[in-house]
Amino acid sequence: MYIRSKSRPAGRQMSTPIIRGLIVGLYTLYPVGCILQLLPESWGGGTALSVAGLIAVAASLIMFAVLAGSSLQRQAQEQESELDERERADRNKAAFYAHSVFSSVVLLGLIYIMLTTDMADAGKLDLWRPSTGDHWNAIFWGLGLLSVTLPGAVLAFGKAPPDMD
Amino acid sequence: MVHNRLSVFRAERNLSRKDLAEQVGVNPQTIGYLERGDYAPSVELALKLAALFDVPVEQLFSLKPFAPLAASLKNQES
Repeated sequence: MYIRSKSRPAGRQMSTPIIRGLIVGLYTLYPVGCILQLLPESWGGGTALSVAGLIAVAASLIMFAVLAGSSLQRQAQEQESELDERERADRNKAAFYAHSVFSSVVLLGLIYIMLTTDMADAGKLDLWRPSTGDHWNAIFWGLGLLSVTLPGAVLAFGKAPPDMD
Repeated sequence: MVHNRLSVFRAERNLSRKDLAEQVGVNPQTIGYLERGDYAPSVELALKLAALFDVPVEQLFSLKPFAPLAASLKNQES
């Protein structure tokens, strides 16, 4: 998913540090924001933390909107016929790596939920696990964001593009 | 690794990366990656570039590092 504009058909060119900063910001602020927003009162949560969480999630979504119009996100998501051979080769490598990371994250998450549910049912240890609609909503949109940005993130943390003359 | 003399030929023809990229149908960044040695071109792209500079492909690309230009000129003179 990326935003194509008439004025910038090849996407917005951004420097490598900026694009890496946006990705780190997105991957940090979204989970932190969700945790703050959904923290129950018995665990120290409250209105102030909930508002702070909402602001963090909103900031992460703004970062995603900026990334969605970048040339890097275009390379990660554009149809093949619009890319040259080097862009396609780099994208294919990034997609393979992103797939491995994404499937590992999902698998580890499922293992965690399975283990914590088993332990809670056995009355051994009651660790946190998603239980409400809000929890699943946060996880669903988080995985959605991860799946559409991960190939671009892999490209961003690869070799820096050459300076243009 | 594939070595190339793309930057030398490009400078000689006074072409920008963007100009060269447009003539062979790639992204200007791809020319930068090629010159930096971070990307080995397909046979098709290598042949297109060689045809554009009107030289045999082995004068533009090589599996062995090219001798420095100054050393090549000195050898030719002696």
